[in-house]
Amino acid sequence: MDEAVKNVLDWNWGAMAPELVILGAATLMTILDLLLPAGRDRRPLAWLGLAGILVAAFLVWRNVQAEPTHILYDMYRVDDFANAFKLVFLAGAAFALLLAVADVGPGGEASSGEKAIRDRGEYFYLLLTGLLGAMMLASAADLIVLFVGLEVLALSSYILVALRRQYLPAVEGAFKYVVNGGIASAITLYGMSFLYGLTGSTNLLAVGEGLRDAYVSGNAYLVYVAFFFLVVGVAFKIAAAPFHMWAPDVYQGAPTPVTAFLAVVSKAAGFALLLRLLLTAFLGLANPLDGSPLLFSELNVYVGAVAAASMIIGNTVALRQTNVKRMMAYSSIAHAGYLLVPFASLTTMVFSQMMFYLVAYLFMTMGAFAVIQLVARDRGSEDLRAFAGLFRRSPLLALAMTLFLLSLAGLPLTAGFIGKFYLFLSAVGREMYALAAIMVLTSVVSFVYYFAVIRQMFLRTGEEGDPGVRVPPTVGTVIALSAAATVLLGLLPDPALDLLAHTFNFSEMFLPLAE
Amino acid sequence: MTAGISGEFVAFFLLSLITLGGAVFMLSFTRVVHMVVALAFSFLGLAGLYVMLEAEFVAFSQVLIYAGAVSILMLFGIMLTRHDVDEEEQDRRRRHRTFAFVAVLALFVALFKGIVALVPAGEGKLAEANTLEIGKALFTKYVIPFELVSVLLLVALVGAIVLARKEGHDA
Repeated sequence: MDEAVKNVLDWNWGAMAPELVILGAATLMTILDLLLPAGRDRRPLAWLGLAGILVAAFLVWRNVQAEPTHILYDMYRVDDFANAFKLVFLAGAAFALLLAVADVGPGGEASSGEKAIRDRGEYFYLLLTGLLGAMMLASAADLIVLFVGLEVLALSSYILVALRRQYLPAVEGAFKYVVNGGIASAITLYGMSFLYGLTGSTNLLAVGEGLRDAYVSGNAYLVYVAFFFLVVGVAFKIAAAPFHMWAPDVYQGAPTPVTAFLAVVSKAAGFALLLRLLLTAFLGLANPLDGSPLLFSELNVYVGAVAAASMIIGNTVALRQTNVKRMMAYSSIAHAGYLLVPFASLTTMVFSQMMFYLVAYLFMTMGAFAVIQLVARDRGSEDLRAFAGLFRRSPLLALAMTLFLLSLAGLPLTAGFIGKFYLFLSAVGREMYALAAIMVLTSVVSFVYYFAVIRQMFLRTGEEGDPGVRVPPTVGTVIALSAAATVLLGLLPDPALDLLAHTFNFSEMFLPLAE
Repeated sequence: MTAGISGEFVAFFLLSLITLGGAVFMLSFTRVVHMVVALAFSFLGLAGLYVMLEAEFVAFSQVLIYAGAVSILMLFGIMLTRHDVDEEEQDRRRRHRTFAFVAVLALFVALFKGIVALVPAGEGKLAEANTLEIGKALFTKYVIPFELVSVLLLVALVGAIVLARKEGHDA
């Protein structure tokens, strides 16, 4: 027994430092929250969390430079695939934390009234535990860790959505989220059980090899069954059609910073799961007749169908929304569709294409939700009309929102355009013209609802003599950073693309690592 | 399945019947208390199936946690909350049910086709002393997910308190 214990400690646990820092910060925040007197301001806890995120980001960056490594036979694996996703999660969580500070600050939506949040310590540290789950998920190359990480993220999100206990839409949203999320977890787990049953291993690399054997030895049908269950489970997680029904209610009911967290971190985690699980497990499968990989020739058609359905449903139903957060929910469903396009067309560029769009999506979505949060609390309404005359009241805010919306719509000179352009090229490159056409057409449709907001801001006049919207420094930081990144990635995408192509070595993901 | 009627087969048949019957009754009952009792039968049947598969540890956890703790917890939940049976919306429910039945039937056919056609990869070796083996694996190779589960439980605990606590007077 002594020998085994020593073996556990012999692994390079330093590689896990980013997660340990986040775990430490979350634990410290929990304890401090207990010790602080009841009436005390909880916002300093958020700064502690933010400090933890910054340290963790630095440690992740150090891991990017280092050689890939693993702990306990791929239970935890540090490769550049994981590192890239972790950086996205950390940035998203940091922004959400900044927005949350303003949310409970003086004059914030959650500071009083029916939308009040009383458990403010929890508000902050549940964001960190959610982040921890997402980071573990990105680093896991084992079905069990993958699933537990997913559940840590999911459970934290359920509670975050339900924090505004007196607000009826929040309760409704949280309930729908728990039920749908539970079903999605069950379906994912059922799919994973097929993988384990066919291969006898939970290690993803071993599963990949085992599936190849299972496929040629007559169990091809069950391989397909596993694939479909996993795709359905993940589609729930990333809110892709036709498994998107929970998203609008949840996005509307959740506090805006949490909505932003769900739209960015939770969705990105879903894509990390999709890529890690499906690529490592299914990439080795080949058609016995002509030797073409199944993921390229057969399975990708189904992913393409999900992508097309998400783009069409998300963008058309968004047209009818009058609540901005619901509209953004459908917009995020559509974006899940766009993001699935490179997975359906599957070239060697899939990682950099998806990652670039995820980063662009991170900034434009965070920025847009930051503005929505300010306007909603200023007007006391999340209706589209709350934006009327924003340009007169707060010209800078209106300009920033316009930038984010144009980027979400994918107009040139913004990060969204470059990202979408690469996704489009990948579809055209594989001669998937239908998918490319759907992408362009639905993008055009999306102009209508994004421009509806812009029209409200510029062409409608609000009430005369309204004071400008007050911008707390934390939200101002989020908006400024997001706007700067959206413009920079739009005008000068080359440094970022270089970084993705050269610094991040995504093929490390498939590399068997020596002990 | 060409074997004659052995004791093992009879036991398997009975346990499956209890498991499936419990699940079906759980869905068709309309009163929550009946549902929980039906569910407890289903849990116990599963525990029996685990014993037949020589997974004693899982079987006992199943009895302790599901048949014991979860069922009791549900009964407490029922006692402490209001639970009026909603008899309305029968018509809508019927159409809904037909649709759900067709969908589930399709799924069953699809899965059954796969399970019948399964080409087994040879008999696996069932671990002996599997409680000991599970303990060893849990604290060596699987220590990361094990620790992560403790975070999961912490989150669940915090969440339960946040959601269930009575509103204070500090508003």
